[in-house]
Amino acid sequence: MIRIDLFRISFICISLFITMILVFAIVSLFLVPDIEDVWHNLLSEEMLFSLKLSIITGLVSTILVMLFSLPIGYTLSRFDFFGKGFVKTIIDLPVAFPELVLGLCLLLLFGNTGFGKALQAAGLDFVFTKKGIVIAQFFTALPYASRIMKSTFDYIDPRLEFVSRSLGYSMFETFCHISLPLARNGILASTVISFARCIGTFGTVLILAGGSYMRTEILPITLYLNISYGNMGMALTSGIVLMVVSFIAIYIFEKAEVGL
Amino acid sequence: MSFLKIDDLSINLGEFHLNGISFSLEQSDYLTIIGPTGAGKTILLESIIGFWKPDSGRIFLEKIDITEELPEKRRIGIVYQDYALLPHFTIFKNIAYGLKKIDNINIKEKVHEISVSLGIDHLLHRKPATLSGGEQQRAALARALVVKPKLLLMDEPLSALDQKTRKETRLLLKSVLSGRQTTVIHITHDMSDVWSLANKVAVFNEGSMLQFGTIEQVFNRPNSTFIADFVGASIFEGRVVVYNDGVSTVKVNGFNLFSLDEAKPGTNVKVAIRPEDIVVTKTPPGEISAQNVLDMRLKEIVSEGTTCFLKLTSGDIDLNVLVANNALHRLHLNCGDRLYALIKSANVRIV
Repeated sequence: MIRIDLFRISFICISLFITMILVFAIVSLFLVPDIEDVWHNLLSEEMLFSLKLSIITGLVSTILVMLFSLPIGYTLSRFDFFGKGFVKTIIDLPVAFPELVLGLCLLLLFGNTGFGKALQAAGLDFVFTKKGIVIAQFFTALPYASRIMKSTFDYIDPRLEFVSRSLGYSMFETFCHISLPLARNGILASTVISFARCIGTFGTVLILAGGSYMRTEILPITLYLNISYGNMGMALTSGIVLMVVSFIAIYIFEKAEVGL
Repeated sequence: MSFLKIDDLSINLGEFHLNGISFSLEQSDYLTIIGPTGAGKTILLESIIGFWKPDSGRIFLEKIDITEELPEKRRIGIVYQDYALLPHFTIFKNIAYGLKKIDNINIKEKVHEISVSLGIDHLLHRKPATLSGGEQQRAALARALVVKPKLLLMDEPLSALDQKTRKETRLLLKSVLSGRQTTVIHITHDMSDVWSLANKVAVFNEGSMLQFGTIEQVFNRPNSTFIADFVGASIFEGRVVVYNDGVSTVKVNGFNLFSLDEAKPGTNVKVAIRPEDIVVTKTPPGEISAQNVLDMRLKEIVSEGTTCFLKLTSGDIDLNVLVANNALHRLHLNCGDRLYALIKSANVRIV
């Protein structure tokens, strides 16, 4: 008699069911529009502006995110200090925040506070500007990157660093020679996820940088504006571009094979 | 001042802690540290090398206070149980890693020299993950020794190896260290490491050092029941009745034990006896040189491979006796047998 493993079958069925719904949703994005229409929209002035701005701000934000998430991830993984729990909670907070709320917080900080005004006086105006897009993307992606980097450094045996130091290498040299090379997969995964997160940031960008046509218009804003105008072709095209970027990011992330 | 002096070292890392550890080592001393898991042995090594900052106490190496010194400046090497070879480097690069920090040195020559002496010269192009445990441990040793550390710390370096490889590596370690004048601190759970490598032993438990001394001192004269248990000796509390003609008589639970150690009559003492220092016989001995003859009963036989432990009892006294398996068969011993334990007075140590 064949024994039916109900537990196993039911769990697999749940996974397959959700996967199928997601597949249908994704495929429908590619099936609905006319290919010629997509191509035409892709080469439109608005789309090219949006794509270019998304890639530039996404790259700049990702570089900034990685520059900060590496020391933050390493600190949270390796060092004990007063207030560590608080730092960890606050850095992780934007993951749980609605993007709109994060955007509002940033708008208030960089807007009318003394800090914001001082920055504006120094020529760093982040409110309703392209620089604001970078800031919004940075704070949205940072917690994800920091978490990945912390997990990556947790996974590296600290005794490898101890041995390096016993052989005459300073903490910084050890970080460069041992920790960074061993964190290579985690860094790659974190970079890809950060870029995908930056490219896809909508709510925070909308509130801090505004959704101005051909000014602070990145791909999610293009999608939003064109849905508002009823221009489904442009909206779907920007959706497809965002989806392709996400696919590539996830593919590279999976290939990185970090123990997260 | 000694070559290495640990002075009242205390550190609290929450789960692990050290309380007021003090000891000194001379150059070329080989200290083994024994004690149960969680006793604070690894924390001691990692404090000496500088990975943990002690809450109090000082560490002196060659008369210089290195307590606040950065680990990279101390010239202390470390070898871990799981080797800690750098996985992204070849064995050559692992061994050469520390040499790059030393000026005017022929790295290739030095790596070749040490790898030949440890028998790993044919593995230099390989990555650590492709090597066996024994090969990885030799590579880790080569990496630590090639930079000629003032002090070498080893945290259970042989415990992950199978018995045969452990034996071979132990011999290799002994031969490589001989003539190098390297001072070594070696954590182990294997008494064979202690007997064959060390000249000093420290026993740790719950963050404290219970006893420190030569092998003879710690193994023959354990100063507590815990250490006696740990090093396999039997220990009894008794009272010195008389000291006469170079022999102390100690009353232990109704038995008189004779010892060549001098003790003041009327004092309470502890008496230690090692299991290999006891001889057993089934028949009452006649006139013999051994002064201590205890009439006991065989409670249990515990096999240890080629040897076995006999657990003897009489009243409140329990004795462990180490005998070869062939002696067990020759005497046709069974649990419940009446046995006489014969112990020379020289082997009854007052601690």
